[in-house]
Amino acid sequence: MSETTEQPQEITEPVVEAPVKQKRERKRPVGFYIAGSWLGLIVFLGLFGFLLPVPRFDESFYDYLGAAPGTPGHLLGTTQDGYDMLAGLVNGARISVFVSLVAVTLGGSIGSFLGITSAYFRGKFDIFMTMLFNIMLSIPNLVLSLALLSVLAYSDQDHPATLTRRISVLILSLTIVIIPILGRIARGSTLQWGSREFVLASKSMGTRNFTIIRKHILPNVAPALLAIGFLAIGSVIIVEGSLALLGIGVPGGASWGSMLAAGRGNIEFSPHEVYMPALCIAFTVISCNWFGDYVRVKLDKREAKI
Amino acid sequence: MSTLLKLEELTVSFSTPRGELRAVRGVTLELNAGESLGVVGESGSGKTVLSRATMGLLPGTATRTGKILYQGEDLMEKTPVEVRDLWGTGMAMIFQDPMTALNPVRRIGSQVTESLIHRLGMGKAEAREKALELLKRVRIPDPEAMLRKFPYQLSGGMRQRIMIAIAVSCKPELLFADEPTTALDVTVQAQVLDLLSELRTEFNMGMILVTHDLGVVAGHTDKIAVMYAGHLVEYAPTKELFANMKMPYTEALLKSIPRLETLTGTRLPVIEGRLPDPTKDEPGCSFANRCPYVTDKCRNESPPLTDGGNGHFYRCFFPIGGK
Repeated sequence: MSETTEQPQEITEPVVEAPVKQKRERKRPVGFYIAGSWLGLIVFLGLFGFLLPVPRFDESFYDYLGAAPGTPGHLLGTTQDGYDMLAGLVNGARISVFVSLVAVTLGGSIGSFLGITSAYFRGKFDIFMTMLFNIMLSIPNLVLSLALLSVLAYSDQDHPATLTRRISVLILSLTIVIIPILGRIARGSTLQWGSREFVLASKSMGTRNFTIIRKHILPNVAPALLAIGFLAIGSVIIVEGSLALLGIGVPGGASWGSMLAAGRGNIEFSPHEVYMPALCIAFTVISCNWFGDYVRVKLDKREAKI
Repeated sequence: MSTLLKLEELTVSFSTPRGELRAVRGVTLELNAGESLGVVGESGSGKTVLSRATMGLLPGTATRTGKILYQGEDLMEKTPVEVRDLWGTGMAMIFQDPMTALNPVRRIGSQVTESLIHRLGMGKAEAREKALELLKRVRIPDPEAMLRKFPYQLSGGMRQRIMIAIAVSCKPELLFADEPTTALDVTVQAQVLDLLSELRTEFNMGMILVTHDLGVVAGHTDKIAVMYAGHLVEYAPTKELFANMKMPYTEALLKSIPRLETLTGTRLPVIEGRLPDPTKDEPGCSFANRCPYVTDKCRNESPPLTDGGNGHFYRCFFPIGGK
């Protein structure tokens, strides 16, 4: 932690007239706009995509089996089974955004809460939580998701699991993956900030522990969590895609991963069936990672100032 | 005057990998309401631990024995929640380094109003008014603008004033000032100390001023306690102490203050040697290996705290100026 050594002119007693409202740096890197607009587009499609005038995603168009991109009426073409690609991708955005945001928010909140409290209060609870996080991290997340899905959302020919159930279990398993990742970040960051004097100072004024956590720890820990949260969204999308390729994702080719899985057999005849969802996944993951890094760099700069 | 704080044989030890570290060894002292006590000693003599132990702000590895009587009640027998309710409104502390004692990501306003809102239950507008009043009281120019600033925009002296404003915001009866001026430069030091003295008279606060600088405590305290290696080695009213110094260590401390009139090139006076290992219990006076007047008796027997009259106590067999 670098403390600014006092500048000579700041030692003089009258107030240092640092301008109260400094002009914010307006220049941002190009990547900020590219990644930002892509993520914005995906979130927009996820929220309002169903309002767009695109063909139905779950309807097969028999006149257009395996149409190439650019076909009138089917802008991005259709699959070998006649499903519209654009509609599929828009619907996939909804599923992917929903699944990853819910999993990361849920897992992030639980993880941060556990991480922050364990580092703040220390003691046996901290030892237990660290052990728990390590155990959770040692389980390969694909295996965990596979196990959870086959137990909690078991389905066979006679008893197919409902879509809601499968998505909930998918989100649950992804949440469990996220908890220790963000939990450890929150714990580490809290260890660093919680031992600072201003926490002790606030404590010495009789402030309650949870008020201190809310007012002093959280604002300092939040940027680190945000940075890792973005990275986590990226990895959740990848895990979801991998699960789909294994055949246990969201069924019916609904998510990007499932579209990829459904289309991989037709790669020779209609490659757009594979590369379009793959590109969507790649762009989204890259944008998320880029944003995570951007936040982290900003955070480092800010810390250097403090 | 009523007794505000009374320490009886307070001992603080930490368990470390090297063994039991005894930072404070059997300190007994008393403070009346509105009175100011200076705790003096070099780094590592246990003065910071003494003030933090009294408040109860030490980490879990510390154990305390003895008695801490605050307004007649033993703080060590209270539950953590009962003690916490005393913090801020009963006892408050100003920390050594104002650079780290303010949260860098929150505005001054929200930090000053924090305890007003959470401890005194004030509403936001009321707390803001009160905060403005406090900032004016600690002589901060343009307090309105100050509320909106972040700590990094302030100088050290300004930050320490903010810390003082926060510490006195709930009108504590006992204020611990843990080296409040060490991180500040000399001109600001005097202003901050004067401010503390003023506030003390105004609010009738008891104050414990911890410092390594005898010059700092001289003008701002009623009593002085000199600490060495965890022991209270000399304890007297301020005037009496400076007029009639008994303990060789106090004398050495006073001699080691650099003076302007000494010639350029003269070596700064220092106290030779080092503090004894706080994890070991060696026989004899703890200052024996550095004392210019040491005798064999000093090396083998530990001197008791002797009453020299006039409220003057010292821990030495051969006090300066005789018994």
